[in-house]
Amino acid sequence: MKEYTKELNITVKVNGREYHESVPANMTLLQFLRNKLLLTGTKEGCGIGECGACTVVMNGKTVTSCLVLAAEADGAEIRTIEGEAKGEKLTALQESFIKYHGEQCGFCTPGMIMSAQNLLDRNPKPTREEIVEAISGNLCRCTGYEPIIKAIEAVAEKGNR
Amino acid sequence: MIKPVAYFKPGSLKEAVEALQTENAWPLAGGTDLLVNMRNGVEHPDLLVDIKGLEELNVFEVDGKIIIGGNINLNFIIDDARLRKVCPVLGQSALTVATYQLRNRATLVGNICNASPAADMAPALYVMEAEVVVSGPQGERHVPINEFITGVKKTSLKKGEVVLRVEIPNPKVGKTAFLKKQRYRGHDLATVNVAGIANPDTGTLRVCIGACAVTPVLLKGTDELYKSIKDVDELADKVSELALQSISPIDDVRSSAEYRRDMTAVYVKRLVRTICS
Ligand code: FES
Ligand code: FES
Repeated sequence: MKEYTKELNITVKVNGREYHESVPANMTLLQFLRNKLLLTGTKEGCGIGECGACTVVMNGKTVTSCLVLAAEADGAEIRTIEGEAKGEKLTALQESFIKYHGEQCGFCTPGMIMSAQNLLDRNPKPTREEIVEAISGNLCRCTGYEPIIKAIEAVAEKGNR
Repeated sequence: MIKPVAYFKPGSLKEAVEALQTENAWPLAGGTDLLVNMRNGVEHPDLLVDIKGLEELNVFEVDGKIIIGGNINLNFIIDDARLRKVCPVLGQSALTVATYQLRNRATLVGNICNASPAADMAPALYVMEAEVVVSGPQGERHVPINEFITGVKKTSLKKGEVVLRVEIPNPKVGKTAFLKKQRYRGHDLATVNVAGIANPDTGTLRVCIGACAVTPVLLKGTDELYKSIKDVDELADKVSELALQSISPIDDVRSSAEYRRDMTAVYVKRLVRTICS
């Protein structure tokens, strides 16, 4: 009988940099990013896929990283909030969040930016409905969403990035 | 925290079936139900068999038969233009499931394997007479969807078996719709969900109701009503009466049984008016 293991070696590209790590099979991608790679920009809210605070982009698609195992990310390309700004230079979307007060406490913001940027990447001119649908998996307790939607709309009008 | 567990990603169906025969092994596809249940301490697998590496589960076809492999996620179903044309009710149903991020992971096959009575993909598959294609130690078998889902969180899957794909052998033509009652606008599980198809040329009307019994309920006798009653409001009333005789809802966190009955009447009438006029 084949032996199945609880510890695995994975190779993951995060924000363009390749990592080779050994991970326990019960480790989530979120824990991997935060605790192993110390990329703590990605947040944990609920841990069960409800809030979107842990949203990252995996192979071009947004996922809630609390519901992905690190093992499942073997061979994947991940983008997190840390990969958005280039040094001091923020993205157009990040600037727009500041301008329109799209963040207050900031806890939802990394996930919100990843969802919104992913929308703009696949659909540079989204309608208001498309924006609302795209961020509907990202809960925000502070802003009431309106400033966030405005921030995204402003970038959509001006052109992305 | 998720408890320690072993993980294996087979490269072939043979390896997958072998692994799934070991003690307490679970297939892992999108993980949007399983990982939540593991984290909440509801399920305790000893081995996760990640089936996302299996070629056989990536199939997707819409010419003639509709074939949806076990790895096809819900956003794919929503976005595929050809499927939207041939069978729009699947995308309509999928759009009401969870959030965008979750739909990037959650699969149609996972939705029915989870076998929640409120599974949003199930009613459409019932009215389309879908079949579930299963592979296991004894080879392959085709199971009609209404025999696949056998109870609350129960399916006819046996130890070592894995669902390869869902097939709709004869995509029915006709006017279709999916309607869902939920507690608030936004992303919520269904209090009641209904799907239907009507075709005046063949005289077929099929209506399925979810979240109101241990499995989705496909109404029997709707064709006769459809053929004999020409007035759509009267037809809607009669089908809704039939629905109320056929369901057996319970009280739970989302709704009382009484409210489910009331909403079933409202949603079935709305559905019939939508697809029969
Ligand atoms: S922490 Fe992942 S969705 Fe809430
Ligand atoms: S800014 Fe506080 S949760 Fe969104």
